[in-house]
Amino acid sequence: MGAMISRFWFLLFPAKEYKIVVVGLDNAGKTTTLYKLHLGEVVTTNPTVGSNVEELVYKNIRFEVWDLGGQERLRTSWATYYRGTHAVIAVIDSSDRARISIIKDELFRLLGHEDLQHSVILVFANKQDIKDAMTPAEITDALSLHSIKDHDWHIQACCALSGEGLYDGLGWIAQRVTGKAPT
Amino acid sequence: MFSLFYGLWKYLFSKMELHVLILGIDKAGKTTLLEKMKSVYSNIEGIPPDRIIPTVGLNIGRIEVANSKLVFWDLGGQPGLRSIWEKYYEEAHAVIFVVDASCPSRFEDAKSALEKVLRHEDLQGAPLLILANKQDIPEAVSADELPQYLDLKKLDERVFMFEAVSAYDGMGIRESAEWLVEVMERSKRTEMLRARAGAMGAGP
Repeated sequence: MGAMISRFWFLLFPAKEYKIVVVGLDNAGKTTTLYKLHLGEVVTTNPTVGSNVEELVYKNIRFEVWDLGGQERLRTSWATYYRGTHAVIAVIDSSDRARISIIKDELFRLLGHEDLQHSVILVFANKQDIKDAMTPAEITDALSLHSIKDHDWHIQACCALSGEGLYDGLGWIAQRVTGKAPT
Repeated sequence: MFSLFYGLWKYLFSKMELHVLILGIDKAGKTTLLEKMKSVYSNIEGIPPDRIIPTVGLNIGRIEVANSKLVFWDLGGQPGLRSIWEKYYEEAHAVIFVVDASCPSRFEDAKSALEKVLRHEDLQGAPLLILANKQDIPEAVSADELPQYLDLKKLDERVFMFEAVSAYDGMGIRESAEWLVEVMERSKRTEMLRARAGAMGAGP
């Protein structure tokens, strides 16, 4: 009954929906992150070809979250998803030191896109459970996040498997895109 | 030729954005200040103080004060994040340094952080506004008393002011912003940054 009323309410008064795109290299944990937030559990994933999209409702704020495939041949198509984006989540495999420069290049290419000029940037330093993972401070340096001067940005340590840090990051996005934090 | 004239036109007539750094140790009230500035000068409600989370990165705020466009860069103040501050110095026209005036036990930390800021050559000549924040708390130290606690040596080399504010209720916010605009507009540093921006704009 409650679900029916809620559905009817949203039909009458559709809430503003905020669009998030989730980017990162293959095997960074983007899909695991999306479904941990969406379902609250770890799902078995295959490499994403194209995208996955889910609606998240977090503290009465609706997000449309697009998880984009991270393989090299798919990265050129990321830009087709940017229009109307309020926030970008860059998921980083904190244990993948060898490829940090690649995601840095992709991140700065993305930041230069005109469709993202008003978007806020959340960096998830994922896989913090792995021994010898880079710290958020190391990732900040490696990605030169301090050279970002025209987007709000935030780096959040997380582990998509346990869910630790994911809602902190989403809370930051909610705060920034709505202009006030969720209640 | 066109780009030369266009650069000159922009240099002379366009409103240049003035970049203001908001610095201070953690829990000084930097983001609360930024949100209050936004709510005072734009019709944006701003994030309520009790909902603000520690900054781990950068928050940007844009407002217009006295016909000038200000861009605020609010940076995290936790010890591990202070190394990021200097990456923003070169392009900053002025600095706001926020101090929690209700917490004397952390004045020493604030003092050493501020001294390090003032020593950096990339901030040479940048006007400095030191805010004795949290004046809504009865035991907060006043703007007149704060200088003796901070005991700063290098202040004679730049334009500076101590101001009592409350980012919580808005006390002193307008006065602070208006003072900043006034000093930035006639600062040699602004002149230098404006010339640099003009030269870059007129480049190939």
